[in-house]
Amino acid sequence: MATIERSAQQLSLPKQTKQPVGWSIWLGTVDHKKIGIMYLVSAFFFFVVGGIEALLMRIQLGAPNNTFLSPDVYNQMFTMHATTMIFLAIMPLNVGFGNYVVPLMIGARDMAFPRLNALSIWLFIFGGLMLYSSFILGGAPAAGWFSYAPLSEKAYSATHGVDYWVIGLTLTGVASIAGAINFIITIINMRAPGMNFNRLPLFVWMTLVISFLLVFAFPSLTVAQIQLLFDRNFGTHFFLPSGGGDPLLWQHLFWFFGHPEVYILILPAMGIISEVLPTFSRKPIFGYAFVAYSGVAIGFLGFTVWAHHMFATGMGPLADSLFSASSFLIGVPTGVKIFNWIATLYGGSINLKSPLYFAIGFVAMFIIGGISGITLASPPIDLQQTDTYYVVAHIHYVLFGGSIFGMFAGAYYWFPKITGRMLNDSLGKSHFWLMLIAFNITFFPMHILGTLGMPRRYYTYEAGMGWDVWNLVETIGAFAMALSILMFIVNVFISLRSGAEAPTDPWDASTLEWATTSPPPAHNFDKTPAVHSRRPLWDTKYPDLEVAHAPGAHGATRREMAARDHGAAPSQDEGAIHMPSPTYAPLIVAFGVTLLAYGALYLSSTGGISAIACLVGFVIMGYGVVRWVSNAHADAPH
Amino acid sequence: MSIRRQLPIRLLLFAYLICAALVLAACGPDVPATTLIPKGTHAQRVYDLLVPIFWAAVAVFVVVESMLVYSVIRFRRRPDAAIPVQIHGNTRIEILWTVAPALILLVIAVLTFSTQAANSVQPPQALQIEVIGHQWWWEFKYPSLGVVTANDVYVPVGQDVTFNQTSIDVIHAPWMPKIAGKTDAIPGHTNFVSFQANQEGIYRGLCAEFCGEEHALMRFRVVAVQQAVFDQWVAQQKVAPAPPTGDALRGQQVFLSAQKGCIGCHSINGTTAKGVTGPNLTYFGSRETIAAGSLPNTPENLATWLRDPGAVKPGNIMSTVVKKGWLSEQEIADLITYLESMQLTITKPPAN
Repeated sequence: MATIERSAQQLSLPKQTKQPVGWSIWLGTVDHKKIGIMYLVSAFFFFVVGGIEALLMRIQLGAPNNTFLSPDVYNQMFTMHATTMIFLAIMPLNVGFGNYVVPLMIGARDMAFPRLNALSIWLFIFGGLMLYSSFILGGAPAAGWFSYAPLSEKAYSATHGVDYWVIGLTLTGVASIAGAINFIITIINMRAPGMNFNRLPLFVWMTLVISFLLVFAFPSLTVAQIQLLFDRNFGTHFFLPSGGGDPLLWQHLFWFFGHPEVYILILPAMGIISEVLPTFSRKPIFGYAFVAYSGVAIGFLGFTVWAHHMFATGMGPLADSLFSASSFLIGVPTGVKIFNWIATLYGGSINLKSPLYFAIGFVAMFIIGGISGITLASPPIDLQQTDTYYVVAHIHYVLFGGSIFGMFAGAYYWFPKITGRMLNDSLGKSHFWLMLIAFNITFFPMHILGTLGMPRRYYTYEAGMGWDVWNLVETIGAFAMALSILMFIVNVFISLRSGAEAPTDPWDASTLEWATTSPPPAHNFDKTPAVHSRRPLWDTKYPDLEVAHAPGAHGATRREMAARDHGAAPSQDEGAIHMPSPTYAPLIVAFGVTLLAYGALYLSSTGGISAIACLVGFVIMGYGVVRWVSNAHADAPH
Repeated sequence: MSIRRQLPIRLLLFAYLICAALVLAACGPDVPATTLIPKGTHAQRVYDLLVPIFWAAVAVFVVVESMLVYSVIRFRRRPDAAIPVQIHGNTRIEILWTVAPALILLVIAVLTFSTQAANSVQPPQALQIEVIGHQWWWEFKYPSLGVVTANDVYVPVGQDVTFNQTSIDVIHAPWMPKIAGKTDAIPGHTNFVSFQANQEGIYRGLCAEFCGEEHALMRFRVVAVQQAVFDQWVAQQKVAPAPPTGDALRGQQVFLSAQKGCIGCHSINGTTAKGVTGPNLTYFGSRETIAAGSLPNTPENLATWLRDPGAVKPGNIMSTVVKKGWLSEQEIADLITYLESMQLTITKPPAN
């Protein structure tokens, strides 16, 4: 744990029991920044893979009665595309930014549990690779990303694909829950002096909200998945009507996770936007408390709307109405956020740089996604729109137009901090315009296709349905989108090699990650910063600026306000900084768990060998745990 | 610089104009599964609810996006710009834009609930039709009339009809976009959808809930006819097809032979074929399509299907038995003659 050791020595130098060398720089790291980079890189890799799957589907749908993909392969593609984008791309991109930025923003030296953090990244990577290994080990899952029972049961999905889906996602789920707990503890316990909840950057607020959502929502998925695993392999019948089970139980358990999951995917992007818009407008966020608490409200309401995914299952008018009402209600805090973002821009001095472009793109596209959600929340209209391309349009306006635009805003915003190099701004803007236009060409027609009766998850369609033109247009748009992503990749490589060197604070920002060098040293800050307002860096940079309209300010300057603040003790000399040593223990534990998972997956089909795999995996895991504990003991501050 | 800035916006506007033109074109006649030309009460009520919400949505879209774009363009940074006034918020405005959307949503909710109430009524006198989903075809039973058929469902125009929906395997969802919204057919559950068809015609039916490999080829047709024609149809369905002669008789012998296995899965009224795994083929000649909408019902297509069903619809159960070469060309020709000979003598409405 990143503790601060008081010592007689005056010089503050990071002291580690062991310095990372060679492979251990990455494989043994417990540094939140390196782990954040590993999250971002591996999630972006999965994002590209999921995008390629989408392109294959778009080729298949480019013309009626096409035979480019067989139905089974097509079904594997859309199952893996959605599973990848949700669990292996957007979620870990959120976690990656969170890992890198949150400790810096709150003035901490690392996450609360650095080794647990390392375990999370390895479990995520192994879980994702395990899921993908299904392609070469008998076939990927093909039952859709929500794997509705009984289709996902053994009788209708005979290959091990669904088992890989269950176990791969269970591993990444453990990673997510561990990560969420880590974020909660970090944000609650490790804030710099004076960084009270009323001063927390909004990205940190949103990370805190989604961490609670994860802790409460993910277990519902894990329970359902384990039940499905037992149905498939050990003869139970939780979801099989023939044995007294109920397919609808799966849907309730899944969506009780699945809807909060949507907010887990979007709220961090909203947090990024709430940092980028004020920075590039040179104004504070409009209605800080409303933006923060509307995020909390969305988080709470997110647990009361799950069955709006199930209006077609015949729950009855009363249940439909209640879930419909709560779904309408969630539109209110969402609207509040959008209005506050626009008001933040209004009256600002807007610096038109690439991060801002993507942030504006987020707001513009998310408005469309929010509006299209209204009709889906209305049960009668939902019965015409659900399971059609209209839903596909809606989810992509929210998760691509929303989350992914937000992630790119974050990428352009924090790339200088993370790498020490600026991304090329004009290439970034070209990327933005191509992506924005291509995105709309690809996904806007899906609203129309759904309205013209095209169901989702169709590997083929006949000519003469009025669907041909739109599908062709979408396919063209999808390739243009791929091109725009390619521009980003090129930009990253060019900028890493020859980009302008990034100063400490290239955007004139106000949060603490910009108070340290780009990239920051392993220990983040030489001195723990003291916080006197929501915009600590502006207190230092613009001490004579009036804090107009702040509660109780009465025209005082930032310097005067800071002086009045008693929340933060003046920063003291902290003596030597103690940082945790690199260790392979989390990697070993994750490897053991993964081997155990492979064994468990084949337990019902190849008993002997898989039992041995389980045992070996368990032993490796045990060795890792022992090493972890003894290592932690040796690494404790003296 | 300003042209460079405006060009993408113009392109975007241009793209939206093209889209708008295509949307209008999309309302033309050649869209058999559109939800925008309702021909049934259930779909009509949804459409009537959608229209005002759509215009409200357009208004919200225009207002909010304009505010956004205006703010960005109006307040873009100018050279030597000073730090702008630091406004932290305004509680009155916050309350305004919390309450205003809430009121709009309240109106939408009220409209929604009244439509929902109307669409969930199940009239007691309605004609009850059992709809059973199979991977990947539809079985239709009329218990009160003693009729069982598949993939083409006949309903009388202007009469209340209630589908009692279930499934024998996975979850399906029968959807007739022009007539009624979709409701799942779930194994172990029965769901009800009540509607009236407003106009004669042959309408598209689709499976909307992903149900496995051939989800896309699980179509059906709704044949909406006048009550008198419907009564004729029922009367004819209840009488077994006339005994075949000539080539058709040879075809029937192939069909009923234990060796070829057709009767393991299929039934034809008045014969020894009593299988229940596959569709009932009584009066197959009058069906609109082959294999749940996979192919239009023509002799050539039937030959294609019988030669190798797995090539037309990979993964279907029939293809596990009937592979290439299972039936000789002569047997296929005879089977086609037999199956297409079983014809109803009612006048069908035009496709709609």
